[in-house]
Amino acid sequence: MQRTTTSRLRTFAVLGVATLVLAGCGREADTNEAGPGQGDAIDDSPATGTIDVWAMGTEGEALEGFVDDFRKANPDAEVNVTAIPWEAAHDKLASAITSGKTPDVSLIGTTWMGEFAEAGGLDPTPEGLVKEADFFEGAWGSTVVNDTSYGVPWYVETRVLYYRKDMAQKAGWSEAPKTWDELKTFTRDLQDKDGAEYGINLQPGQTGSWQSVLPFAWSNGAEVTNAAGTEYTIDSPEMTEALEYYKSFFDEGISGPTRLLDPGELETGFAKGEFGSFISGPWHTGLVEDAGVTPDQYAVAPLPGKDSAPGTSFVGGGDLAVFADSDNRESAWKLVKWLSEPEVQQDWYTTMGSLPAVKASWESGELANDPQLSVFGTQLETTLAPPTVPTWEEVAAGIDSDVEKAVKGATPIDEAVSHMQSQAESIGTGL
Amino acid sequence: MAQRISPRHVDPTRRQQAVAAWVLAVPFMALFLVFTAGPVLASLGMSFTDIRSTDMQTPFAVGFTGLENYTRLLSDPLFQKVSLNTGVYVVLGVPLTMALALAAAVGLNRITRLRGLFRVGYYLPVVTSIVAVAVVWKFLLRAEGGLVNTVLSSVGINGPAWLDSTTLALPSLVVMAAWRNLGTLMVIFLAGLQTIPVEMKEAAEVDGATSWQRFRFITVPMLRPTLLFGAVITGIGYLQFFEEAFVMTKGGPLDATRSATYFVYDQFGFGNYGYAAAASYLLFLAVVVLTLVQFRLLREKD
Amino acid sequence: MADEAKPPTRRSTPIWLYLVLGAGLFLMVVPFLWMAISSIKPEAEVRAVPPTWWPETITMDNYVSLFTRLDFPTYFFNSIVVALAVTVGNVIFGAMLGYALAKLVFPGKRVVFGLVLGTLMVPGVVTFVPLFVLTTNLGLTNTLPGMFLPFLAAPFGVFLMRQFIMGLPDELIQAARIDGAGELRIFFSVILPLCGPALATLGILTFLGSWNNFLWPLVVAQTEDKFTLPVALALYAVGQNATQYGLLLAGAVVVVIPVIAVFLALQRYIMQGIAMTGIK
Repeated sequence: MQRTTTSRLRTFAVLGVATLVLAGCGREADTNEAGPGQGDAIDDSPATGTIDVWAMGTEGEALEGFVDDFRKANPDAEVNVTAIPWEAAHDKLASAITSGKTPDVSLIGTTWMGEFAEAGGLDPTPEGLVKEADFFEGAWGSTVVNDTSYGVPWYVETRVLYYRKDMAQKAGWSEAPKTWDELKTFTRDLQDKDGAEYGINLQPGQTGSWQSVLPFAWSNGAEVTNAAGTEYTIDSPEMTEALEYYKSFFDEGISGPTRLLDPGELETGFAKGEFGSFISGPWHTGLVEDAGVTPDQYAVAPLPGKDSAPGTSFVGGGDLAVFADSDNRESAWKLVKWLSEPEVQQDWYTTMGSLPAVKASWESGELANDPQLSVFGTQLETTLAPPTVPTWEEVAAGIDSDVEKAVKGATPIDEAVSHMQSQAESIGTGL
Repeated sequence: MAQRISPRHVDPTRRQQAVAAWVLAVPFMALFLVFTAGPVLASLGMSFTDIRSTDMQTPFAVGFTGLENYTRLLSDPLFQKVSLNTGVYVVLGVPLTMALALAAAVGLNRITRLRGLFRVGYYLPVVTSIVAVAVVWKFLLRAEGGLVNTVLSSVGINGPAWLDSTTLALPSLVVMAAWRNLGTLMVIFLAGLQTIPVEMKEAAEVDGATSWQRFRFITVPMLRPTLLFGAVITGIGYLQFFEEAFVMTKGGPLDATRSATYFVYDQFGFGNYGYAAAASYLLFLAVVVLTLVQFRLLREKD
Repeated sequence: MADEAKPPTRRSTPIWLYLVLGAGLFLMVVPFLWMAISSIKPEAEVRAVPPTWWPETITMDNYVSLFTRLDFPTYFFNSIVVALAVTVGNVIFGAMLGYALAKLVFPGKRVVFGLVLGTLMVPGVVTFVPLFVLTTNLGLTNTLPGMFLPFLAAPFGVFLMRQFIMGLPDELIQAARIDGAGELRIFFSVILPLCGPALATLGILTFLGSWNNFLWPLVVAQTEDKFTLPVALALYAVGQNATQYGLLLAGAVVVVIPVIAVFLALQRYIMQGIAMTGIK
């Protein structure tokens, strides 16, 4: 008797699940039209009510005190900042959107915008809130999903060439290389004439290598998607050429090693002159100096372009977005607007060291005058962000995998590139 | 079992038992059904759809895809690779960890001094932060200058790049996992060893059996249930290995150390919730199969 | 256990065994020692390649940073509350259902045990997303109950208690029944007092597991005052592009101290407890 009851119960359970799944199911037809238009414009009156803000890591810590000026200008508004760990911030934001329990404003990594916008979590930027032209083009691009802008770029980072200036000078280079050919000769010289173990350290595939490879592709004129952002155009002669150039560094023994570096290995190696150069973002200036490199030993330069500098680099950073579930939309956007004012952006740089996304902030003060910073400023004018599609993380992982196979010789380059294309196509854009 | 002695006419006691049992069971079952069984079933449901993270606000407006996720998985070369990796990891790892843990337990059982110190010490890797473990092991395994290769070169062998080799990376992680997890197993085996009657071993000794014979014919058979338990929990754990590969090699080189759980983790990260749920259910299936196989191999032969 | 008190008729333990085990011990504890020693090194030295052993510079910066930047009392309190709740819940409910499964006869027993055992084998990744949706719908986000409720009914505790209680003699229960004691009374007055080691073991293991739990509390907490210790640690140590390893290691040391203290104090009970599940 026990058996029949339990098996009957089981059958009902299964049927129940099946019914739940089937009833009220099904996707609406995907019309692939452009997203909602920009949001309603907001007025100039001071902000009111509570504004809950999430920011990650040290930005979160610093922001709490930083917004005191905003509080003074908007006495009726209460700003609460919560710091969130970077490590699982993505999961946390995704869960918040799912459950509807979002803050009003949050810092969002540039590569996450597509996914959260598509999930319906973000509020489109109000008309007239900010001027697109005030921001670096690549940075603004990271906020546009399906032709609608969500959020505003807050701070940016881009990748430049770090090299041992002293070793370069000894090898006869008074200036950084500007073209692909020059880069090749330059790095070879660092090895042959200065005894570096590797003239350059390029990432040989694995997580995030697309951030090193795509700049070369972009500098060569390759594009990841078409202008409308509806199709992938990865498979192109320009991409193949760029990947061949990238691989040649490994084949000729100029770049290495092919394993994952330990944390601290790159900086220590750079300090010891084992690595002559590498490509990275602004955070590395602090790291290499901690490892013992003195400021006159190294320099940064814009990425070499195919035939002239600068090449196109990768732009990342953080955007500020207001959530669709926010109950204080107008005031939230006012805070965002305040944070994008040029002087506030400069102050934020002074507080955090994060590079402003607003071009005007670079025209005065340290950002204009410091030679190292102006390299970043110059590079920022020639950058691209990856496509703001919800599926980007998966497509990028596929690219990483194929880059690794190509660089390590497991697949010929043209096969690797066409595999990138077919993978991306099967993943789709998610829009 | 002793319970059967109760004569049939003690029905009231039976009913009392049943009532009591359900009273005792209800708190657990209520929480369990809501917080465990529910999500497990929901996840099963998800695996039959094409649900993505962008659908989570409207979870029922998704396409029902039947077994498509499963068939796609089985023909996905990456999934096939990670399944193979996971299988190799378990086949190599479980016996190795068990052998080391048993050796340590037998050793610790023999010594009389400093037992507490040794117990804690052998257990420490289990509670040491994976970050610290990774730093030390990466240093050990470095191609040039790593401790392992330095030792090897002193006897004239040119050690390979352990973590950079598509064939050697996974076995290296297996060794590291055995090192890390033998503490837990050792503690279990140690307790099991202490329940073996000393008289049996002494009698065998008197009869002229060697240490090894005593071990083989008395210790191991009496330890069988404990060995089974150890094999099962280690197998379940290793089938889900993730952390070591994530921290040491990020799944590389060329996916040589990517595990099934790593694959699921990636898919969740990409937002492919339906696909990820299906993969995790296949993993669950593997756990069940492995457990059954182990029961078959190691059960009491009486 | 009685073996430990055996009279010394056995031959004395060979020295070589101590040496071999000692060497093994050294291999086991090296990373832990490195972790503790490195937590007092400056960041640059922690990241040095090849890794250093003895600190070239000693600094307490990592610990100072840890205690000043983190609102330690709050995070510690949250971690303790959650871990204690999960522990107490598991111990009580595990013992209750474990006893029922071990000694009582009732309809549906097979199903219940099958469910418990089956869930033991389900990978954690399977339930995460639906569990979060559920927690939200129950209004439990950003609450401490939201952090511990889903874990009060864990199958491991039931399984462990069942195995242990199966080893207790049936005669005790029969005798109590004959004396006229009600079933529940038997559980509370006869069985439970005998379960000391198993309860202690389950308590310790559950506490350890819950103490180190990171992802779930992170996702449930919306404001900083609800963070647990591992979450707060990750907040300050891991950046978008760079990780502060010194801080991470200092944090790892601090987080592991209660774990080791508990283990040291009660390791004898743990040994007894785990053994019970294994032997049957």
